[in-house]
Amino acid sequence: MIRQVFGAMDRVLIACLVCLAAIGLVTLYSAVHQGDLGLWQKQNIYWLIGLAVFLLLCFVPLRILGLACWPIYIMALLLLALVPLIGDVQMGARRWLNLGLVYLQPSELMKWALMFILAHWFASREANRLINLAVAIGLVVVPAVLIMIQPDLGTALVLVFAATAMLIAAGLPWRWFGLACLGTLLATPLLWHYMHAYQKQRILTFLNPESDPLGAGYHVIQSTIAIGSGGLFGKGYLQGSQGRLHFLPEQHTDFIFAVLAEEGGLVAISLLLLLYAVLIGRILMIASHAHSRFASLLAIGVAAIFMLYIGINIGMVSGLLPVVGVPLPFVSYGGSALVTMLAAMGLVMRIAIESDRKLPWQRPGSPLV
Amino acid sequence: MLGQLRARQIFEGRLIALYAGMVLILLALFAHLVDLQWLQHDKYSLQADRNRINVVPVLPVRGEIFDRNGRGLAVNTIAYQVIMIPERVENMDATLGTLAAMLNWDAAKTESVRKRIQHGRADRPVLLDDKLKWQKVAPLASRLHHLPGVNVQAGTYRRYPYGALTSHLIGYLSLANQEDLNAGYLPTEFVGRTGAERSYETILHGKLGSQQEEVDAHGRRIAVLKRTPPTLGKPLRLSIDVDIQKVASQALGRRTGAVVVLDVNTGAVIAMISKPGYDTNQFITGLETEQWETWLKDPRKPLLNRSTQAAYPPGSTFKLVSALAGLRYDEPLATGHTFCHGMIHLADRDLRCWKHEGHGEMNLHDAIVHSCDVYFYELGDQLGMDKISNEARLWGFGEKTGIQLPPESRGNLPSATPLAADNRRDSTSLRRQQWFRGETMITAIGQGSITTTPLQVARFAAAIANGGKLLRPMLNADAAPVVERQIDVDPAKLAKVRQAMHDVVADPHGTAHWPLRNIPWSAAGKTGTAQVIAMAQDDDKTDTPEYDRHKDHAWFMGYAPYENPKVAFAVFVEHGGHGGVTAGPIAAKVLKALAAKAVAG
Repeated sequence: MIRQVFGAMDRVLIACLVCLAAIGLVTLYSAVHQGDLGLWQKQNIYWLIGLAVFLLLCFVPLRILGLACWPIYIMALLLLALVPLIGDVQMGARRWLNLGLVYLQPSELMKWALMFILAHWFASREANRLINLAVAIGLVVVPAVLIMIQPDLGTALVLVFAATAMLIAAGLPWRWFGLACLGTLLATPLLWHYMHAYQKQRILTFLNPESDPLGAGYHVIQSTIAIGSGGLFGKGYLQGSQGRLHFLPEQHTDFIFAVLAEEGGLVAISLLLLLYAVLIGRILMIASHAHSRFASLLAIGVAAIFMLYIGINIGMVSGLLPVVGVPLPFVSYGGSALVTMLAAMGLVMRIAIESDRKLPWQRPGSPLV
Repeated sequence: MLGQLRARQIFEGRLIALYAGMVLILLALFAHLVDLQWLQHDKYSLQADRNRINVVPVLPVRGEIFDRNGRGLAVNTIAYQVIMIPERVENMDATLGTLAAMLNWDAAKTESVRKRIQHGRADRPVLLDDKLKWQKVAPLASRLHHLPGVNVQAGTYRRYPYGALTSHLIGYLSLANQEDLNAGYLPTEFVGRTGAERSYETILHGKLGSQQEEVDAHGRRIAVLKRTPPTLGKPLRLSIDVDIQKVASQALGRRTGAVVVLDVNTGAVIAMISKPGYDTNQFITGLETEQWETWLKDPRKPLLNRSTQAAYPPGSTFKLVSALAGLRYDEPLATGHTFCHGMIHLADRDLRCWKHEGHGEMNLHDAIVHSCDVYFYELGDQLGMDKISNEARLWGFGEKTGIQLPPESRGNLPSATPLAADNRRDSTSLRRQQWFRGETMITAIGQGSITTTPLQVARFAAAIANGGKLLRPMLNADAAPVVERQIDVDPAKLAKVRQAMHDVVADPHGTAHWPLRNIPWSAAGKTGTAQVIAMAQDDDKTDTPEYDRHKDHAWFMGYAPYENPKVAFAVFVEHGGHGGVTAGPIAAKVLKALAAKAVAG
């Protein structure tokens, strides 16, 4: 069975991951080589841990995951509800739960739980019936509001956008989608009214970063300079002056894209974007070939979350979007984000494996599916 | 079947739409990046090369500390330091060789510099040499263009012109530690660690300023854009008179001990010296750890401020407390007399008087003048421990004086009723299950478990002189005096004690008459000889080292002039022997200097 599973793995997906691992580790080395090289070594270990989780998930039947959808969602919701009561305050926001051994960010868990529950909900339902849609919206709005009051606007928006992509895949009529967009547009002033001062500040700074060149706008100005000065071919590996002279903030985590752009130029960036495009396209192809609607929607959810991470991160580092803390998938330093993303990849890989018609358990009546 | 096919078609359509949307997003990002990296590349390239802003902190200049006559006790001097940014050095060995030759480094110094360079970051400045005079760095400064990466810069340093004379008072600075960093200091800032430098840190330190600088791609400053100047630290004037401090130090000589002189009316500290001392100037760079170790390990404890941080049995100076208590509670003996045979029998032991042949007929006045032990054994016995410790507490014993020089010892004031004692953590608390009559009697002459700091004793003297005002000793010359409390004492009874103190000096038989016979002021005082261990008083083996270590502590406290008191003082000499013989002459020298100043000023 092990040989069959390995044989059915999607080669393109694996190639993408290998390339991304290489780019990620090489870039991270450049970002930390003057300071704490231990971070780079740790990231290597996180890759190994993530790989183990990835391989493990390749062997977990989707049927079992299907059973776990509701319990996972309810648990995530309960933890989220606990945050305002017993959460730790860090940097002015209450987002973390101290579970004794580990610090957990329930909003992070919620993203994946929501993906599961929506895939499960629409596995046997169409999104063009109002009642189905109403329940789905309820499933999204409750956690989104809980996350927004933490306050963590960025994650709340990721949640809403990822859910929207899944609703569209599940057959949401375009007219309704258009109406929802219009409604959101009209509700924006209301949202602005309820936003925290620092959130407003971020958006204002984003609209005009020069207004506060040494405060909130500093990050964006410096990362934009780093990207722009990289040019077509970059300044050369380990040669980025913005990063080397410490003008670039958070250069190993959220702003690592600027390091790559400065040192590798447009060439390296194009390669990275191309890799991401291939990866997401491949996930959607796996979604289209999946053997069940549940599996398809799950894969679409993963693709949507990835796309949002990529778009928001690069958009923020290059000055297109306000600064929200979102990592660049497979490149930014950070253990839990990397392991979570590789787990999601494991899930997609399992979908690909189960959809492989050549495998014995794909035949009708197979007890494994 | 047809429905399923239709659903499948819709689903495929949706997937294509989603993928199209995602590719669109990626393309938009790509277009933006093309704009940044290709079309606007020149603009950003220029900014990256030239136009960068660094915000650097500007350290405040620390306030200086002066004595009451405006002489600098802690001053700032400009000195030069040599720094290096290693990554800009072309040939490290040659550069270090040149520097070693020009700055006269020996091999060890060169090696430690090399280590420091390897240890630090290549892009950050490393301090190579420090506290240099201009004459020494001038030749180097003129050759800097041959030595890329090396720079000479001016800095301010703290200097303590009087060194060990003011070491315990002024204290020292050191670089900010982790705790200070958490409190908002920068790692390059110096923070007061002990003494006035610590107590008045908030006044002296000043506030950080900052400077926005335009720097080039190598981090070199091109221009200063905006400057928020630092707030300079405020100067501090202490009530100390350095001349008196010097006289007191010379009078103590090589002996271990302390001298405290207070203004009787304001509590201002005119002199406070503890010996042995240490040269505070050696702390500045924090590099002389060997020196620090020797001070820490020195059995004579030079780092200890004996005026405030060490407590000793007060010896016979405490008889004044017993006398005041006797008068307050109208004990018959306080107005009567007893006969001193040289000892007193108590159960199975004899309590001796220092004068073995006995003083004969003794009243309160004579007992103070001659420092008769037997009289005070009996007075203490009549009073009982509670009354003695109440009286002592009134006059400020067993409590901190509140001087701005933490940490301060409160001494130990024993009490007959252990539960009432507020200082139970002392070493005697274990055996103070039961209080013995004999303990009260030896406490009445200032022996046993009672201990006091020289500052407490000086403050006690001041309170006797000024009619019962218990003052807080003040170091800051510009602060208003603080009266802790007015002690409720009958002026007529206080006058009796003062008269006796006067005769300690004035009466030809007084214990301090001989050393103080030639001073211009009429002084009042009380000698004290505090036993270190119970040593047989007729022991004549005086030449052994044990004898030196077990020799009595010498005290002399009092005030002057008698008629119109100006200063109160306490002189303490560790293992100094007899109070009148050892401490008396020291007080005499200090009082002469004070009197000369009073005449001149």
